[in-house]
Amino acid sequence: MKNTMLETWISQYTDALFRWAFHKTSSIEIAEDLVQDTFLAAAEKINNFKGDSSPKTWLFSILNHKIIDYYRKKVRQPLSLESSSNQTFFHEDGSWQQARKPKEWHEEDSNLLDDAEFRQILEKCLDALPEKWNTTVRMKYLTEKSSDDICQEMGIAPTNLWQIMHRAKLQLRDCIENKWFKK
Amino acid sequence: MKKLLHILFLSCLKATELVEKKLHFKLSVQEKIQLHLHKMMCEACTKYEKQSIFLEKGIASISQHEPVTTDIENLKNKITASLNQNQ
Repeated sequence: MKNTMLETWISQYTDALFRWAFHKTSSIEIAEDLVQDTFLAAAEKINNFKGDSSPKTWLFSILNHKIIDYYRKKVRQPLSLESSSNQTFFHEDGSWQQARKPKEWHEEDSNLLDDAEFRQILEKCLDALPEKWNTTVRMKYLTEKSSDDICQEMGIAPTNLWQIMHRAKLQLRDCIENKWFKK
Repeated sequence: MKKLLHILFLSCLKATELVEKKLHFKLSVQEKIQLHLHKMMCEACTKYEKQSIFLEKGIASISQHEPVTTDIENLKNKITASLNQNQ
């Protein structure tokens, strides 16, 4: 009985669950693993499923926990904020290094975000970030969670979050300026 | 003059940090005024804020455009197999 139920769910919901997991993690491999883990967890806890909610809702709530766990594990180690990264962009007195000063992008002149090539560069620059910054940034933008929730889930102070964002953005915008706007 | 500005107002480092704080949390009244004054005088940090907002939109749009290419049938079989193994 349990097995047939699970098998039906697998054939009905794998597609939707995978799409969601992929949307949240941008990785096929990780998304597949998360969906698989979701069904394994569902099989274990199937007696808890009372049918108050639809199986789809229930499976998605398991998956969402798996996604958060995945991000949490990735950032478990303390986030390092080397001050050296600041020196790359700013003088000691906090003024911009001439070479790193933001240049005019004219980013509003075209529909850049519809440009597949531009999105590819952006993706590349994101991947070039130190892993924990990359994770934090993705978690922030891809999970549509509030900043406070993210701090809580990752166990970091708000100050930490915006400082990570700051470091990450400095690198990201520098990378994009060099790879796209300077061309 | 530049030095005086830095004592009275924010450095670019601090100003760009506040831009991120503003985007993700809330600024205090004092911080709002400091950032506003700084941007009035600093073109680079004004650009930083504009570009930062643009990057946010960009990151959010990446996942919407990415085509999903995986063999769902294959995944279903894999999951069924691993379930049977666990029982």
